[in-house]
Amino acid sequence: MIGEARTVRWTAVGVGVALGVVIPAFLSDFLRSLAADAAIAGLIVLSLVVLTGLVGQISFCQYSFAAIGAFTVGSLVAGHHWDFWLALLVGVCFAASVGVLVAIPALRLSGLFLAILTIGVALFFDRFLLAPGTWDSFSGGTSSWRAGRPSFFGIGLKGEYAFYLFVFGALVLACLLVWNLRTGKTGRVLRAVRESEVAASTVGLNLTAWKLTAFGISAALAGLAGGLAAVRVGSVSAGSYGLLQSLLIAAIATVVGVGAIASAAAGGIFLVFIPEIIHHTPLSTQWFPLITGAALIFQLVYAPEGAVVDAETRIMRRFRRSTPEVPGEDSEVTERVLVRSS
Amino acid sequence: MALLDLEDVSIRFGGVQALLDVSLQVREGEIVGLIGPNGAGKTTLFNCITGVLGPDSGRMAYDGRELHGVKTHRRARLGIARTFQNLQLFGRMTVLENVMVPIDAFSQRTPVGDALRLPTARFEEHKATERARALLYFLDLLDVADFQAADLPVGMQRRLELARALASNPRLLLLDEPAAGLDARETAALADVLFRIREQFDVTMLLVDHDMALVMRACDHIYVLDFGRVISAGPPEQVRDDPEVVQAYLGEVA
Amino acid sequence: MVLAGVSLLPGFTVIGIVLGGIYALAAIGLVLIYRVSGVLNFAHGAVAMFSTFVAYQVSVKSGAPGWIGLIAAIAVGIGIGFVIERFTMRPLTGKPALTKVVITIGWLLVLQTAAGLIWGANAYHRPVKLVSKAGFRLIGTSVVVGYDQLTTVIVAVVLALGTAAVLRYTTLGASMRAVADDPESARLWGISVNRVTAASWMVGSAMAAIAGVLITPLINFDTFSLTVVVIDAFTAALIGRLTSLPYAVVGAALLGLAQTYPRAFFSTSGVSEAVTFALLLIALAVLFRPGARKLRIA
Repeated sequence: MIGEARTVRWTAVGVGVALGVVIPAFLSDFLRSLAADAAIAGLIVLSLVVLTGLVGQISFCQYSFAAIGAFTVGSLVAGHHWDFWLALLVGVCFAASVGVLVAIPALRLSGLFLAILTIGVALFFDRFLLAPGTWDSFSGGTSSWRAGRPSFFGIGLKGEYAFYLFVFGALVLACLLVWNLRTGKTGRVLRAVRESEVAASTVGLNLTAWKLTAFGISAALAGLAGGLAAVRVGSVSAGSYGLLQSLLIAAIATVVGVGAIASAAAGGIFLVFIPEIIHHTPLSTQWFPLITGAALIFQLVYAPEGAVVDAETRIMRRFRRSTPEVPGEDSEVTERVLVRSS
Repeated sequence: MALLDLEDVSIRFGGVQALLDVSLQVREGEIVGLIGPNGAGKTTLFNCITGVLGPDSGRMAYDGRELHGVKTHRRARLGIARTFQNLQLFGRMTVLENVMVPIDAFSQRTPVGDALRLPTARFEEHKATERARALLYFLDLLDVADFQAADLPVGMQRRLELARALASNPRLLLLDEPAAGLDARETAALADVLFRIREQFDVTMLLVDHDMALVMRACDHIYVLDFGRVISAGPPEQVRDDPEVVQAYLGEVA
Repeated sequence: MVLAGVSLLPGFTVIGIVLGGIYALAAIGLVLIYRVSGVLNFAHGAVAMFSTFVAYQVSVKSGAPGWIGLIAAIAVGIGIGFVIERFTMRPLTGKPALTKVVITIGWLLVLQTAAGLIWGANAYHRPVKLVSKAGFRLIGTSVVVGYDQLTTVIVAVVLALGTAAVLRYTTLGASMRAVADDPESARLWGISVNRVTAASWMVGSAMAAIAGVLITPLINFDTFSLTVVVIDAFTAALIGRLTSLPYAVVGAALLGLAQTYPRAFFSTSGVSEAVTFALLLIALAVLFRPGARKLRIA
């Protein structure tokens, strides 16, 4: 990475985080709770950045994994009075395990059929697992338990601003972790699997293990989002974790582009604040899925890698040295190889 | 004892007998050539050795142990590496990253260590980068280390495939048409590179190629495949003069 | 409890077969579009739904006879199919099929929301009346089969076999199969790949419209039930290996029966969903067993 571009990147991150911390201080409680929702949705977009951006696997059931996190935390904390942090850990692990389970049939499926499978999973959750009557003790059934807000090292998180900072912090931390993953061995390995499975296995990578790992990490992130959502609202309703939400978030992730981690924030803001903006126009919020769908179609036709990635590429290009030509092949080069070796 | 010992390997695809009773041996330290007309089954044989395909019958032993049932990625750990005829580079990754992947495959780092940037992970990353750069230097690819693999000219891409294969520290290196797309000078240089690799990395090689000059020069021993069967085997001069071989190639021998 | 279940079987068999007919109808257009253009149209059910609402507007709201509504629906279906292919698929020729499939998801969102905005998402709508709901009693049993149900099944079978016949025996069908197999070669042979692909989308969407109008009297008529039928149609089509229409019909029948029979014995609401999901997994597993021919992706 050229030094200048790196400085630009980290400055931008710093500015973004600073804005994220400072701006909500001046907003109403209602907007702060929306911001918290945006950060939570950002985690789900991040889960797609890992799964689709790194490994190239499609998923239309991320909210189903989130539901697992949400319902686990909800029922453990409100129903059985567990400690929030422990419940969150259990929820995340549970979501990760289900993610691995879903990944098993996915191992042999290419993009299209994987997409069908995940829609099937989402519908299965919608209509069976989370439907009233199937598993009331897990899904809370029709009674609503209220999960109280936890405290973070002694600081109560009941206040909207405090809670928002907590969730935002979780998002930033998750983004950092994913960034480390991506620039390290895991990122390289997963990208290699995406580029050429045959070459990847030939150089010693266990394709099965890595694909399962990727699904597990992705589902864990979604589960984390769900767990946080459970205490953000205080109750969990199955309707918020349906196929439509999974489709919407996948659409939004595609629009912003899963190639960049910054997409997580952009996607979260899109999901939560665009409907809010629509609310203040003559159009009803019902228009939101239509707008998202149209945005998706336009984005894919004109810039399939996504808006954020597109923007990032353009900005970065300004800061890089003009890309030098690949040194040409000529006999001098081959001579050098000989000289080098002797 | 031969490092690679194939005995009566056969495989059939639908109506086509791709390989029939193929037996060959590669002794440690040798460069063995495998030639034959297109469609003779050379790449299929490679696929069997690396585990991408499973033969219908026959024995394949590597370093004395039976390869049957051993998964592809495990064979890499045993020390079998290969380059691909149709170039299976990690196109959207940089040259350096391509070479680091096999090193990554052998490292013990876990995603957790990566995510938290634990000291062991950072140290291993540093070591892996150093080792990868050394390999690039050896194959004169250091200048292009940060370029995307897909952007390189073919000659460099072939060298990159070699570098990547060497990165997994193999004992046996299978080369599938490494000279395809190279001109005469580059091909001549390639033979010397192979010798240097053998010397520096102590690697045994099984080489498939159509360039007779390369094969004759580089190989200690040659097998000739035609329609899935071994029709000739022996030192280069013997094979070159074998009438069966000449006929199979219709006079292509240099 | 089991005995009570068994006595319900004849009636449930009829229900299952009718359900199968529904899925088969929905699957035909889907398979056609997939075979020729290589795109799995996730918006297929949404197209059906939207066209049916147009029929509803024409027939139920404005009082025109049912068959005029049907014609309107088919026209709208063709129109939507044309727009999707011409403006959002064709510009992306050569791009991976997955991109195109995600675009169909975008269309799903657009169509479904649009229908909800125009006609009301949760309101109750009277379905278009094409065939009378009166029925006849199956001899020997106490089961009543509605004419509308019967029509659905018959139309499904006829359309499926008819389309299969067109594909096999007509020039257009041959062109479609050529494009499906190898667009480049087809182009070299003088076949207008663009026109054939557009035709497949339009015809496929027309069939979606027909399916929608026939199906809605049998299920809930709202903005999302039809949209979601697409998954059952997929599963049925998968059993037909996504390329064979007759097998898709068989698959649809199997799916319909498999979804219905458990209801005779279990009262949990989601059992049929569990069955669908299980069948989906099985179909995918069978299709993708090692050594199976790879399914073509455009």
